[in-house]
Amino acid sequence: MDKEMKAWKLKDVIMMAILGVVFAAVYMAVFQGGLALSTALTPFGLASFGFEIIYGVWFMAATLAAYIIRKPGAAMITEMLASAIELLMGNSGGLTVVLTGFIQGLGAEAVFAAFRYRKWDTVSMILAGIASAILIFCYELYYLNYITLSPALLAGQLAVRFMSAAVFSGIICRLAGDALAKTGVVRNYAIGASADIGKIYDEEE
Amino acid sequence: MRSLNPACKFISLLAVTLLLAGLRNPWWNLAAFSASMLLLLLSGVRMRTLLLYLIPVALAAAGMFFTGYRFTADGSMPVRSDAFLQGSSNLLNGITQLSRVLAYAGLGYLFALTTDRVFMVRSFQKQLHLPQVFAYGLLAAWGIFPHMALEYRRTRAAFKARGIRVFPISPALLAPLLVKSVRWSEELSIAMESKGFSSDAERTESTPVHVHAKDAAFTAFCCIILPVTAMLLR
Repeated sequence: MDKEMKAWKLKDVIMMAILGVVFAAVYMAVFQGGLALSTALTPFGLASFGFEIIYGVWFMAATLAAYIIRKPGAAMITEMLASAIELLMGNSGGLTVVLTGFIQGLGAEAVFAAFRYRKWDTVSMILAGIASAILIFCYELYYLNYITLSPALLAGQLAVRFMSAAVFSGIICRLAGDALAKTGVVRNYAIGASADIGKIYDEEE
Repeated sequence: MRSLNPACKFISLLAVTLLLAGLRNPWWNLAAFSASMLLLLLSGVRMRTLLLYLIPVALAAAGMFFTGYRFTADGSMPVRSDAFLQGSSNLLNGITQLSRVLAYAGLGYLFALTTDRVFMVRSFQKQLHLPQVFAYGLLAAWGIFPHMALEYRRTRAAFKARGIRVFPISPALLAPLLVKSVRWSEELSIAMESKGFSSDAERTESTPVHVHAKDAAFTAFCCIILPVTAMLLR
C-alpha cells in the first residue's frame, strides 16, 4: 500500500485534492438544499428522503477523478481527500466523515477494479456509484441505527439512493468528464489521450 | 481543547463517536452532546457562532426523531434484535435517533471549531504518517479554496451583469470553475515541484508538531477510561 502511495505524483494528488475541494463545496451547498427538503418532510417521518435524493452527489468526486486519472486508487483517495476537506471546512456529520469517505471510495474503487481499470463508460460509472451507495448504506444500518427502522422505509431509501447515485455519479460525472476533456485542460491525464480535443481553453485569451 | 495535538484529538473523538454508535444509548449521546457544547464554550467559541452552527443540526435531529418515532422496526425486520432496539416504545426510538445526530455533530464541531487546519494536516503527517505528497496536496488545495470562492462569485456576478439568473449550483457556474480549478492544479504542482515539494524528498520543519503528556492523557481518557466505564455501567 505504501509503495502504491509513493507512486502518486504531486500533480495527481493536487488534482484529486482540488476536485475534492470543488466537490466538498458542492456537498456543503447541496446539504442546505437537502436540509430544506428534509425539514419539509419531517412531519411525515420521511426526513431522511430529503438527503437520499441528493446522496449521489457525495460519490461524484470519486467517479469523476477516476474517470479523468484512470489509475488504481484514484476513486478511493479522491473521496478520502474530499472528506478530509469537508472535515477541514467543519461539517455537521461528525468526525466519521473520513471513515464514510473511505467506505464510499472503496465501493467505487471495487467496481473500477472489477473492470480491471479498462472500462470507462456510463455503465461502469453508474455501477461505481451504486456500489458506493450499497457500502455506505450497510455502514449506516449500524452507525445511524437504521437497523431499528421499518424495512419498507429502508427499501424506499435505498431505491432513491440508487437512482441518485446513477444520475449524479454516473451520468452527470460522465458528461462533466467528457466536457472537461474537450476543453483540453486534462490533456495530460489518461482521459485526455482518448478525447476529441477542440479549442484549448486559455484564460489569457 | 485548542492546544491539544490534532491527531490525538481526532483519534480520541473518533473513538468516542464509534463508542456511542456501539452503545445505542440516548442518555450517553445527550451527555456527549452536552459535554461537547460545554467544552466548545470553554474553548472560547462564541455562543452566537455555536447557535448558528446548531440550526441545521437541530433540524436534522428533529427529522430523525420523527423518522424513528413513525417508522420503528416491527417483527418483519429480518435482523430485528433486542440488542439493536433501545426499548419497546416508538418515542424512545425517536429520542435515540435524535440524540445520535446531536452527539455526532457535537463531537464533530468540537474538533472542527477548536483545530487549526494547517496544524491538523501537519499533525496527521507527523503522528498518523500521512504520506508527504498527500499532506502537500491537501494544504495546496486548502490554500486555493479562497481563490475558487472568489472565482465562483466573479462568474455569478458576470451572469448577473448580463441579466441572466442562474441557480447557485448550476452547471453554468460550476463548469468554468472546474476548468479553472484543473488549470490551477497543474500550475500549482509545477510551482511546488520547482520549489522542492516533490513526493520523496525529506524536508525539515520550522515548527515541529509534538505529542505532550496532556495529549496522551486525553487520548487515554477517550480511548480506554470512557469505554471501560461504559462497559461497566451497561
